[in-house]
Amino acid sequence: MGDWLGRASTTAVGVIAAILLTASAGAQTRAAQPASPQPRSGAYRAPRTADGKPNLSGIYQAITEAYWDIEPHSAAPGPVQELGASFATAGGLGITDGPLPYKPEALAKKKENYANRIKLDPEIKCYLPGTPRGMYMPYPFQIIQTPAYIMIVSSYARAVRTIYMTDHKEAPADSWMGWSNGHWEGETLVIDTTGFNDLSWFDRAGNFHSDQLHVVERITATDADHLSYEATIEDPQTFTRPWKIALPIYRRLEKNAQLLEFNCIPFVEDLIYGQLRKPSSN
Amino acid sequence: MLRRLLVATALAGFAVAIVHIAPLAAQGQAARGSAGAPAYKVPRLPDGHPDFQGFWNNTTYTPLERPKGIDREFFTKEEVVEQMKRAAAEEGEQTTPGTIADVHYDFTQFGLDRSQAPVALNLRTSLIVDPADGHLPPMTEEGKRLNAARAEARKRAGAITDAAQNQPLSVRCILMDRDGPPMLAGAYNNNYQIVQAPDTVMILVEMLHSPRIIPTNGRPALPASIRQIEGSSRGRWDGDTLVIETTNFTDMFMFAAQGASADMKLTERFTRTSDDTLMYRFTVDDPKVWTRPWSAEVPWKKSIGPIFEHACHEGNYSLTNLLRGAREDEKRAREKKPASN
Amino acid sequence: MRTTFAVIVALGAWLAAAPLLAHHAFSSEFDINKPLKLTGTLTKWEMINPHSWFHMNIKQPDGTVVAWLIEGGSPNQLIRLGVTKNTLKVGTEFTIEGYQARDGTNKAVGRNFILADGSRYLFGGSAPGAGGADK
Repeated sequence: MGDWLGRASTTAVGVIAAILLTASAGAQTRAAQPASPQPRSGAYRAPRTADGKPNLSGIYQAITEAYWDIEPHSAAPGPVQELGASFATAGGLGITDGPLPYKPEALAKKKENYANRIKLDPEIKCYLPGTPRGMYMPYPFQIIQTPAYIMIVSSYARAVRTIYMTDHKEAPADSWMGWSNGHWEGETLVIDTTGFNDLSWFDRAGNFHSDQLHVVERITATDADHLSYEATIEDPQTFTRPWKIALPIYRRLEKNAQLLEFNCIPFVEDLIYGQLRKPSSN
Repeated sequence: MLRRLLVATALAGFAVAIVHIAPLAAQGQAARGSAGAPAYKVPRLPDGHPDFQGFWNNTTYTPLERPKGIDREFFTKEEVVEQMKRAAAEEGEQTTPGTIADVHYDFTQFGLDRSQAPVALNLRTSLIVDPADGHLPPMTEEGKRLNAARAEARKRAGAITDAAQNQPLSVRCILMDRDGPPMLAGAYNNNYQIVQAPDTVMILVEMLHSPRIIPTNGRPALPASIRQIEGSSRGRWDGDTLVIETTNFTDMFMFAAQGASADMKLTERFTRTSDDTLMYRFTVDDPKVWTRPWSAEVPWKKSIGPIFEHACHEGNYSLTNLLRGAREDEKRAREKKPASN
Repeated sequence: MRTTFAVIVALGAWLAAAPLLAHHAFSSEFDINKPLKLTGTLTKWEMINPHSWFHMNIKQPDGTVVAWLIEGGSPNQLIRLGVTKNTLKVGTEFTIEGYQARDGTNKAVGRNFILADGSRYLFGGSAPGAGGADK
């Protein structure tokens, strides 16, 4: 019994020492973990995955009016009178770093998109949101993180982004969500995406891109429940220079937070195919 | 000449594939460590759970139910090899002009014929393993009424080309057999990618680029009032087997095609029995429709990636084209009619 | 053995059926009574799902050029075999044997794609069956 007490107190001392060592030594404490650069003093250090990377897994959602219009904008009536205030545009500060640097012909097309957005917005037809739009839609998304693949799944239209963390290839063909190669820079997940088609929009206001779109995102946990999201958008066919967006993203904290299924295809079939329905004999 | 080359190539590819596969019955024995063969040591993730990650393909030549006239549970390896060779030869043949089969792109051109897919050799005569006769159990009276009502509703809706909603869920890009659940192979692209994080398993189904996100942290089931096309899945580990329980189906769900009710409870089990085999077993418990639960089993074979974006709804010109074609056919038929008096 | 033959016969119907399930929608979209043969050059291969589309410039007998859209298969397995958007070059000349769309437009399903040298596979060594040596 004396032996047991002796061992227990030795163990206790050992545990306390280990805690003190861990607290003081910062990022490079554990020999088993691969070394990672020291975060800036005061910067948040996210809990680590088993392979020593910041653990970004979880369910998140952007809280912003950018899904209406990524630029600063006033409140405005919606295009569908019957929907009244429910589908009116809320004013927003925007997430852009200035007016979008459209080429003159592209600006004309943007204005045409806006004027015809009910017919043209791909979101209305339950089409995939593209990138970065899927990251700031008013619906939750989930990050599922493994060493070789990080999957980002949006509840809207069940959009899936595969982020290739180790096997970096060029896009074999064009897609709605793009082809994403990712790597870590300290606490930040950097995602480089190309291989876009020209069919998605940036928001409900008709801001658009060509298939030359190139997006570089930087995602960093700023504390246990928030991510900082920045993206540089480059598209020499549409814009005169690259431009940036930035916004915070929030962890969904409800107990049992989860993505519910939002398969919107059945909700838009009459819209898309209704005019091809066989006319009834009534 | 070219036709023989195609057939020979398909057979050669197929022969190469099976040389490396142990017959499934023997594999099963090996996994269970009997008959002197060493038990398979499944690779593990840092959290100790088995690693099922990677690309898998569930293409199969085995029917769900045991074919008429077959009474045994297993074919011999020779019989199965012969069946697969014949299927490969048939698929490699040119179709005959003017037949329905000819009004289609050539699967071989796109690498999509079944004999080009990785297939786990399966000696079973049916996917159904329980009941032991390899057939679905008898249907209840309520099940018969439910399915008769569904058939009646389909009839009332009109011809299949009258409206988009009259087409199968697959043509509408809403749901395919590969998604299920349960997940069953179709004609091609029967590929899946599995990734595992500590409290989540995700299965990316190639067809429809469908994400199945399965929590393994004990999160409770959804309330019965929330129904989903793919139901709601919860996962847990039973030793080295991943068990996925799915409920909360809506009536537009995959197994309606099999006769099931939306109150069906599905249990899927994954066990890795070798480096290149993931055994998939599912049990359907639907007392409204079947007099007892029934189970089926199909081995998944290791495959390769990537899984390219299957943006089916976005690219669904076919549905527009076939509806427009039907309306054009009707217009031509009306114009041909003599003027009514 | 006797049972082997019986097994093969019994399974024959089911084994053949699986790929045919995909054919149903196609015979609604394209007209079995409108077979065609078109020769032209590729302007774009849209590598999309559920079916890819070949944009072709088809030479007419009078020398004019008409745009046609030819439906093909999902590109996903070809991508796994190394085919990319750079594999099939714009300007590639080939002949299509297929069936025209029921709606009467310049669309068809491509049953066979035959290159100028007479070979049947657009994707060269990447496609199974092509050449025979690779796979």
